[in-house]
Amino acid sequence: MTIQRFRLLKKCCIGLGALASAMSLSSTPAQAAGDLLVAPTRVVLDGQRGTEVILNNIGSETATYRISLELRRMTAEGRLEDVTEEQENDIERAAKEMIRYAPRRVTLPPNQPQAIRLGVRAPEGLPDGEYRAHLLFRAIPVARSVTEQNAPEGGFSISLTPIYGVTIPVIIRQGNLRATAAIANGRLEQQGDGQALTFDLSRTGDRSIYGEIRVTKPGTSEPVMVARGIAVYPEVGQRSVTLPVPPEVAAQLKGPVSVEYYEPANSGGGLIAKTDMVLR
Amino acid sequence: MTKFMKAALASSVLVASVMGANAANAATASADAKANILQQVTVTSDGSDLDFGTIVSGAAAGTVLVNAAGAATCSASIVCSGATSAAGFNVSGTESATVGVSTDASVTLTNANSDTMSASLTPNVTSIVLDGTDAFVVGGTLSVAANQADGAYVGNFDVTVSYQ
Repeated sequence: MTIQRFRLLKKCCIGLGALASAMSLSSTPAQAAGDLLVAPTRVVLDGQRGTEVILNNIGSETATYRISLELRRMTAEGRLEDVTEEQENDIERAAKEMIRYAPRRVTLPPNQPQAIRLGVRAPEGLPDGEYRAHLLFRAIPVARSVTEQNAPEGGFSISLTPIYGVTIPVIIRQGNLRATAAIANGRLEQQGDGQALTFDLSRTGDRSIYGEIRVTKPGTSEPVMVARGIAVYPEVGQRSVTLPVPPEVAAQLKGPVSVEYYEPANSGGGLIAKTDMVLR
Repeated sequence: MTKFMKAALASSVLVASVMGANAANAATASADAKANILQQVTVTSDGSDLDFGTIVSGAAAGTVLVNAAGAATCSASIVCSGATSAAGFNVSGTESATVGVSTDASVTLTNANSDTMSASLTPNVTSIVLDGTDAFVVGGTLSVAANQADGAYVGNFDVTVSYQ
């Protein structure tokens, strides 16, 4: 039975992978070793014991990937910062200990997907709350020997290899948790050589909040801009959200707008918070 | 596992129904079709690496800066030549998804004789709202010591695309 299941899984994933790689190939002709696809991009386990995440090698060469569980903390700017082992608190340590995953290292030929199994074993008497860790998928670069390179005479050459990867959150909810959010202080800011819409997103309650931001002009139903996948994690009560906007969108945003925060469609799509504001 | 089984079964059901339609029009049958579509993310290199070109060190220390466009700015104390480039990456995923971009702040480069140099790294963006044509670049500043030893220097640095 297990073997049969695995075959079915393999069949379906190859289809998914082939589709995804066909899509990415059209936009990026040059593919290097280490290119990767990860799906889904967020895992929430609210009572379920486990799930799977698909990792696919979308590069043109065989690559080895390492999968690891990392801790991140959200900053007031909404960035996710690494947490070192010394900085771990009890909640983070509990999250890391209850999440099981396998395999942790996998070598994949091009267009070969692999399911990474995730399981949760909550210990007896685990206090109610939200526990979170981040699953990191990263390609291990092919080792290059320094002596293989031709050192130029009377100077030096430099070769820097990027090791690139993706992190997705794995969230475990224990108990009946609630949270609410509010939006305030919206403004258009100069960011680098473009403009950005910035506002504060505050959160109260005992869990994180997650959803999409829609900005609409009064009297229109189509949003001027949409940004999906914006979270406020329990370690912060408030974060700023900075969304880069192209110049033509920035021009449309000026004046009165309505900023709405919705739950994702797959968890109800309800309105979490809404604020009317005037942007300058 | 069951979800994928359902997805796999759904695809075979679809195939079967298409084939069935070709074979016989007389009989009608109904079947449930199910599919579990997952949101995905891909990260790919665009083929260009962070390349500081060829450098000849001098009696004084200096720096080489490679900006997001790949252009180099070289201190007067050292000589730079050759083509330079910033490391480029493409990201794709669900439209309008917001992703964070981060890199190591610095990287240490080592040659065959264990001489070292360090370079600071700067991505040109820290967050992207995906619109289908998304890319980012990583530039940096290489610090070259006075009379830096010759050789081929290599180093690795981490680049991470994070979902919230």
